[in-house]
Amino acid sequence: MKKRWISLLLVSAMTLSMLAGCGSSEDTAEDTSEGGEGDKITFMVPDWGVPTDEQLAAFTEETGIEVEIAEVGWDDIREKIATAASANECAADVVEVDWSWVGEFYAADWLEPLEVSDEDKEDMPTIETFTVDDKVLAMPYANDYRLAYYNTEQFAQAGITEEPQTWDDVLEACRTLKSTGTVEYPFAIALNAEEKTATCLMWLAYTMNGVVWNDDGTFNEESVMEALKYMETLINEELVAPEDKTSSGMDAYMRICGGTASFLTGPTSFVSRSQNEELCSVVGQITPILVPGKDGKAAQTMPLPEAIGVSSLSENKEAAKKFVEWYTSADMQKQLNETNSAIPTRNSVLEELINEGAIENPGAMLEEAQLVSSPFPNGIPSYYAEMSSAMYNAINKMALGELTAEEAYEEMSSALDTLLSEE
Amino acid sequence: MKYAKKAGYIAALILFLIFAAGPFVWTFIISITPDHAMFAPTPELLPGEVTFENYKELFSGGQRGSRFFESMYNSLRAAAITLCIGVPVAVMSAYALSRMEFKGRKVIKNLLLITMVIPVMATIIPLYQMFAAGKMLDDIFWLSMVYVSSYLPMAVWLISNYFATIPEELEEAALIDGCGKFVSFFRIILPLSYPIILSVILIMFLNTWSQFQIPLILASSMETKPMAIVVSEFMTKDTIQYGLIAAAGMLALIPPALTALIFRKYLISGMTKGSVKG
Amino acid sequence: MKKKIAPYLLLTPMILIMGVLVFYPIITTFTYSLKKWKLTSPGDIRFIGLKNYRNILQSDSFWYSMQNTVYILVLVIVLTTILGCLVAAFLKISKKCSGILLALAILPWALPPFVNGILWKFVFFSGYGFLNKLLIGIGAVEKPVEFLASRWLLLFVISIVVVWRSVPFMALVCLAGRQSLPEDVYEAAEIDGGTKGKIFLHVTVPLMLPFVGVGLTSTSVTAINVFDEIVALSGYSDLAKNILMESYLTTFNFLDFGKGSAMTYIVLFFALLLGIFYLRSLNKEVEY
Repeated sequence: MKKRWISLLLVSAMTLSMLAGCGSSEDTAEDTSEGGEGDKITFMVPDWGVPTDEQLAAFTEETGIEVEIAEVGWDDIREKIATAASANECAADVVEVDWSWVGEFYAADWLEPLEVSDEDKEDMPTIETFTVDDKVLAMPYANDYRLAYYNTEQFAQAGITEEPQTWDDVLEACRTLKSTGTVEYPFAIALNAEEKTATCLMWLAYTMNGVVWNDDGTFNEESVMEALKYMETLINEELVAPEDKTSSGMDAYMRICGGTASFLTGPTSFVSRSQNEELCSVVGQITPILVPGKDGKAAQTMPLPEAIGVSSLSENKEAAKKFVEWYTSADMQKQLNETNSAIPTRNSVLEELINEGAIENPGAMLEEAQLVSSPFPNGIPSYYAEMSSAMYNAINKMALGELTAEEAYEEMSSALDTLLSEE
Repeated sequence: MKYAKKAGYIAALILFLIFAAGPFVWTFIISITPDHAMFAPTPELLPGEVTFENYKELFSGGQRGSRFFESMYNSLRAAAITLCIGVPVAVMSAYALSRMEFKGRKVIKNLLLITMVIPVMATIIPLYQMFAAGKMLDDIFWLSMVYVSSYLPMAVWLISNYFATIPEELEEAALIDGCGKFVSFFRIILPLSYPIILSVILIMFLNTWSQFQIPLILASSMETKPMAIVVSEFMTKDTIQYGLIAAAGMLALIPPALTALIFRKYLISGMTKGSVKG
Repeated sequence: MKKKIAPYLLLTPMILIMGVLVFYPIITTFTYSLKKWKLTSPGDIRFIGLKNYRNILQSDSFWYSMQNTVYILVLVIVLTTILGCLVAAFLKISKKCSGILLALAILPWALPPFVNGILWKFVFFSGYGFLNKLLIGIGAVEKPVEFLASRWLLLFVISIVVVWRSVPFMALVCLAGRQSLPEDVYEAAEIDGGTKGKIFLHVTVPLMLPFVGVGLTSTSVTAINVFDEIVALSGYSDLAKNILMESYLTTFNFLDFGKGSAMTYIVLFFALLLGIFYLRSLNKEVEY
């Protein structure tokens, strides 16, 4: 009896040591190779942010720092960083930071503050989004802010000659488009239960009234209610497509390219998308314009940029910072626009590209870029994910007819109150 | 009577074809539809224009395509390692659990079988921590070991059920003939149970082929990422390339389809006449 | 003596693999579930006993998700079992082209759930999706039907999609099980004068049960752990979320690892009950 157990233990110990042996021999091999060369950093980024091999080679030549790319799907990056952090591991030295992640990344202490010159801050208004307690946590590299688009041909067909200036104008135009039978569902907006739907409410309230949240973090009831009511009107009058309530936000936005919607307020990327024959069946009909406001064009628009930051667990912070500086430099931004069609976050570069004609059909793109300002009075909160989830679920329920605008507001504001009380 | 039977069979065949193949036909149609016509509000089933751009993009050797094929190769490698380790371990355990008497047999068997219900979510974070500590992250071998651990209960259950149906006398006869237990296992048991072992191989292969959540956390570089993850990356925050995803999905079906075709002979014809009778 | 070590030797690799890669992590996760551990407040990680569990069990949203989970589970189990056995029987009858049919029957399972979700999203798309095109084509409806807009219909659609993916496994297991039945049992039964129906009921069914048990357990696990299909069909909507989705969101979206682990454990507990039930009722060792 005893012997049996002893032999069992022996066998397992042997197997374990064999396994461990394999593992450790690999370790040492890795260590020596890392030590032998100069600095090496890893860069975790979604496909659109991956620099070309030539660009990376140039960086290595300039600084002696080698860069290893870990291309990860955008949604999955956060999951990876979180899992790694829970094990006190560094997922990558330089990581993608979406604007909506800043609050929680800061609270979780995953990002190393960066030093940024005042000139750069001036040139990159979206830096504001990544600044918490006067610390710049990440440098924006791909710009995105809300810009409006309308299909001039469809508007003309319905007998509307003027570009819409206010949200009321847009509503009237959509009614006309529908009643004249030009377009069945002229307004493209995200209503599905996903992040984009929450941001739709944010920018709508923000462009209408310039405020979404009060200083204490609660919703500004008047402004948010007005935006919700506006959405409710769109839904009740069937100016939005019924399928947008359950299909992804991107599908809803894409309707403007498919010619089934005439008005969109959406990502800046639609400037180039509306010029692409493969993606768009109405090339040449879509004009980017300033986002409407309450009594004329909105005085501000919401930024939704992507940035890169240095992981606080990185063992190579200096090299990582050098990389961030290089990656967001004016020269690189110009190159990245050419190779990855990234929209520069530096207004100087954006201006240059538009003037050179590198960005086609820009419309009001540059003008709008100068109106960018963050709707969050105290920076992105650490509970952003929970808040956004409560918002999009309430809006989605309103779209499906389960809640009125008032009830939807009640639901999301009480969820926000709970989050604030837990802070 | 015979007529009715035949009609019934044909009806069943048609139903089967609609439900089994219909969705794939539809996927194929999506893969050749241009992006802007994807949601076009027309009642026609076929798109007005047809494009093979998505397939071209995958085969052109461009970045997307080469990544996709690289990831298929990774999936195949992971499947191979999984099978090489998983099948022998499962057979060994099933043999011990179904044909040997020893202390703790029931407990071990039940403990093993019950792990079948453990969802990945319940183990993935500690696994990551363990792998990070042991520098086993992003390693196709260890990734495959995790797959093995998730298939073992089911595989052992299936195989030991099958072993249990093989009459004891067969093995005893071999033992009397002077074969050792070891030899009799290879001579008698294994040949009799090849259908179930092949089924288990097929099951392990197909499950490995569509792995997503485990490698999402444990693999990060292009050297290890499996097909399902690379295809999911065709859907990013601001672009969903439905056509490309559908095309990749169609191509990704080829290896499992081939495997199923190769195995079909053993899975069905092998079972008709009493192979078990020995 | 040698004979007595043999079984343990044979089991060692399995025990090692399961111990290190399953039992150790699962215990670790349990210790997490007893902690307050939110990544966004790294300074405040502490042991709080069963508080996470209490909070979850007291929230309405959990019970709502639980309802959805059970609804999907019941539908998927019933449909998969029936269809799986039918497909297995069908494949057994079709001798001529069985190979190709089998390959076809197995394919849905080889599709990654994520691609499966996208594929069905197009089928059930509330605008002009495949099904709506068909319905309009045959004149059954005039305007596209919104399949995904109400809770029970949406859950039904999700179940169908999961059934489509899990029938192949069930069919394969049934086929494999059918194959293990010794022919002489049938011969004996026929000599005893049993009718076809009786033989099926008294011989085939009991002998097949252990195999169907494997299929049922695996299908139940699949049905409890549906994720990608729900996201593809309805986003992260509260409407159709199940407990796995809630635990995923809590862990990776809200970064609450403590509460998320507790929720995973509840999923696990639920699956465990089912698993034990199957083991007890279906895994009786068959004697001939």
